[in-house]
Amino acid sequence: MEVLKGIDLSVPKGQICGIIGRSGAGKSTLLRCLNGLETPQSGDITINNKSLLNAKSGERRKILHNIGTVFQHFNLLSRRTVLQNIALPLEFMGESADKITGKAIKMAALVGLNDKHHAYPSQLSGGQNQRVAIARALVSDVSLLLCDEFTSSLDPETSLEILALLQDLNQRLRITIVLISHDMSVVREICDQVCVIDQGQIVEMGPVESILLRPRHEITQSLVRHLFVKDLPRAISDTLHQETLLNDHVVLRLFFAHTASYQPAIADIIQKFHVPINIIVGSLGHVREVAFGSMIVTLPAHTTSQDDTIVADIITHFESHNISAEILGFIPAP
Amino acid sequence: MVGASALISIIVGVPIAIVLCLTAPGGLYPHRWINHALSGIVNAIRSIPYIILVVLLMPTTRIIVGSSIGTLAAIIPLSLAGALLVARMVEDSLRNIESDLIEVGLAMGASKRQIITKILLSEALPSITAGITTVLINLIGFSAMAGAVGGGGLGDLAIRYGYQRYDFTLMMIIVVILVILVQAIQMVGDTLSRKLSK
Repeated sequence: MEVLKGIDLSVPKGQICGIIGRSGAGKSTLLRCLNGLETPQSGDITINNKSLLNAKSGERRKILHNIGTVFQHFNLLSRRTVLQNIALPLEFMGESADKITGKAIKMAALVGLNDKHHAYPSQLSGGQNQRVAIARALVSDVSLLLCDEFTSSLDPETSLEILALLQDLNQRLRITIVLISHDMSVVREICDQVCVIDQGQIVEMGPVESILLRPRHEITQSLVRHLFVKDLPRAISDTLHQETLLNDHVVLRLFFAHTASYQPAIADIIQKFHVPINIIVGSLGHVREVAFGSMIVTLPAHTTSQDDTIVADIITHFESHNISAEILGFIPAP
Repeated sequence: MVGASALISIIVGVPIAIVLCLTAPGGLYPHRWINHALSGIVNAIRSIPYIILVVLLMPTTRIIVGSSIGTLAAIIPLSLAGALLVARMVEDSLRNIESDLIEVGLAMGASKRQIITKILLSEALPSITAGITTVLINLIGFSAMAGAVGGGGLGDLAIRYGYQRYDFTLMMIIVVILVILVQAIQMVGDTLSRKLSK
């Protein structure tokens, strides 16, 4: 079975690259190829111009010492203290005891765990354990840091803290970071470059702004939409149906991208079609300097009779404003 | 007698466990034939009732210690039974270490030996301690049967004086001593295992 096909990805030094995709898309496998846990059947992986796949076992281990991985579930050793856990890669490299301790203390300070040197993982919170895992991944002066979907095991607030820490480390130590996630908000937060994977293939790749603002592939579009689309309120989702009846209101999901956010598109439609537009939920934000977002609105589906629907015209009109509109269903008129 | 057998059991049993764990499918050195053969031998010997094993081993025992009766002779079957028990218990402990932790070592470029000592054995230590406690208690039970080959010990005393000479009081005293002994070992083992797991 082919899990990954034709992956061609290069990450410039010092950049943060986000690999995003639905679960089962192959992003974890890709990451496991990068840290040597899986061996691809063909192709090559190079880091700092050294081939990981063609290296002999001793050379290969040296290359791996240069790559740090932060695992999804931290994977700390339960019987080792914070410092001992951080020190593990250095022990594997056979460094002297003095150097190991000094380096571990320095790394603990870097991730903000100065007062926890001798605590065990079971005594720490998820976020603190994640910091230990990051310190451990970086301790051997790595040039590449790989992060497996870790935000899924942390609460949102802690996730943001950890992302800020990663960004800080990226800038201070000039480390290249590859992180995988199914969550576009993680990518939006810190990545320079985004690579969207579906069914084992890269379907879209580029700078974060262009991926978020002009997603071309269907998968990217749906992932970007999830950034902003909140669930429908219960009152609406309970009465939502797909067949339109007379006097129904249509529920539309609008997606604003690029400069469209500044155009009075909704006011325009109200004037042109003489329909009341009701905004149910909405979220508009910025990616770097450009505004974009999403909104769910309802408006009457028919003007006079059941056959006379204006929904298609309205959708066309929205699209002429660079706003994509999707029919979620219909609800009875309030 | 139990002490010496326990020591030999650990020295022999732990390496067997490590080999079983490493050669298992998905292990660090997967090797089907070694794994099947070793596992088969361990299972076969473990399925022999202990008292039969004592008798079966008599010729071997005679070669090793020069006699098939006496305390020294009882150590041989006791050690074998103990070692295989230790092998299974420790193998179980090692297998319960999540493969995620082994991958941590692999991704860090650790050698296999480093993974075995610094990750596998280290993480499994509390559970191995608990397993060895159980083996120790089992050995005390087995050692009562060592009386059958003149191995001496508390079990021997209970059978010879308590059962054969109808000295019920003496037998009860020995039973009480055995109960206290087992309780004490269990308590020490539990405490140690708890202390080791952080």
